[in-house]
Amino acid sequence: MQVTWTIMRSTTYIGGALALLFTACGGAGSETPETSSEQTDLVIGGDENATGASAMYQMPTPNELFVLVRDLAGEGHKRMMNPAGNVDRYVTLTSRALNFGVYSTDLVYASYFKLNVEVARYYLTTKKLAEGLDLSSAFNDADFIRLESNLTKGDSLEVISNEAYMKAYEKLQNEKMGPTLSLVLAGGWIESMHLVIRQIEAFGESAPLMVRVAEQKVTLEHLLQLMEPYSTTPELASIHAELVAIRDIYDRVNVKRTPHRSGSVSGRMVLGDEMTIDLTPEKYAELVKAVDALRAKVTRPEDSTNA
Amino acid sequence: MNHTMIRLPSIPQSLLVAVLGLLPLAMVAQSPCAEYHKFNCDRSSDKRFSTNGQSKSAAVQVGQETELNIIIYRGQDYRISLCHDEKVLGEKLAMRLVEKVRVAKPDPGPDGKQVFEESEKVLWDNTEHEMSQEVEFSSTSTKRIAVELVAAGGAEDVKSKGRSYDIGCVGILIEHMPTPGLGF
Repeated sequence: MQVTWTIMRSTTYIGGALALLFTACGGAGSETPETSSEQTDLVIGGDENATGASAMYQMPTPNELFVLVRDLAGEGHKRMMNPAGNVDRYVTLTSRALNFGVYSTDLVYASYFKLNVEVARYYLTTKKLAEGLDLSSAFNDADFIRLESNLTKGDSLEVISNEAYMKAYEKLQNEKMGPTLSLVLAGGWIESMHLVIRQIEAFGESAPLMVRVAEQKVTLEHLLQLMEPYSTTPELASIHAELVAIRDIYDRVNVKRTPHRSGSVSGRMVLGDEMTIDLTPEKYAELVKAVDALRAKVTRPEDSTNA
Repeated sequence: MNHTMIRLPSIPQSLLVAVLGLLPLAMVAQSPCAEYHKFNCDRSSDKRFSTNGQSKSAAVQVGQETELNIIIYRGQDYRISLCHDEKVLGEKLAMRLVEKVRVAKPDPGPDGKQVFEESEKVLWDNTEHEMSQEVEFSSTSTKRIAVELVAAGGAEDVKSKGRSYDIGCVGILIEHMPTPGLGF
């Protein structure tokens, strides 16, 4: 079959899911490819003559991240989540959408760390914000009854909270609510970073957890690409700029790429290179400071002052 | 039983043809593809795989490249499989997995700051694997991946009916599981 692949693409549709992701990154500024050029095609830039292709973006759901973190970091803590009592204090559409991302991430976090009472509380909290975003169909009474009857069954709570998340996500996608979806995903990414950083504080640094934080570079880049079509709108401009500032920190982390030299332990082929990340204590501290500041700004109730 | 005959006002034949000709486009516009992968793609027989939330369906036009950008995590095995409307899009779709990487340019910008750009690296191409419509792999680091698709088109008689007949549904089913070890 003869196939002509184009290089340059125009993003015509944005999809997505909550942003909680992790990934490799590195230090003083650049990735160092060690892969030999013969191995693959490496294309940089665009072909000006290429026709536009249709590009869709999806983000991993929060549960993917929390499964990985749960295995690395023990139990969860409700104090790490955004207080449910603040929900009525987010008034503007932007703040509601951002905090819908925050609270729905907290909901999934609570379900994965078996904070069962909090699951019910955050389900109702998220539902309340959903109503202001025309997403209430994702949180119906039947599902809540199902959730209540399963409060002692952690695995079922994970399923129910994920279903609610996916319903809201798909509605945002299907109804082409791109700016709102971008805000929701941004809130989710920030909250996921916050939760993982707090897990590290609570349980101590471990190499696998630090790698997960470092690898958030990749998901942040993905999120920013997804947000790009709306990045200059009044609703998104500020949060987009703040996320770009965090990406700038990641850009100063060294990433070394090396070809994978053996097969996977599962027997499947390994896709792509290995990445070695050099997230120094200084860069990690800088990252934590930036994420904490942004998270505080996003979750600050709109009826409170900056003081 | 009484039957009542109703005589409809006559409609010019050319108008009728035009309206009927637009129907396929209207049907596509209603997004019948939205959940295509949920009902048409076959799940892996390996029950350890879970459906990944990044799975997606879309309407695809013959000859038009379509890409789905996703994240794959370190320490996970993935299966990506396709299902599609073969009558419209052809028996097999061309598929590539392309990694997207943000890399620094060697020279700084006019303001002295480092400038970055996107690079793309083809990691897997099914035209080198007998047009396989599915692929399984392990991920040893978190990556941004584009699943790129191109449809060659279906039978000639379908192609000849024109542009409105060259759009069909494609489902991209993504499954994942923690990378399992081999042996005892």
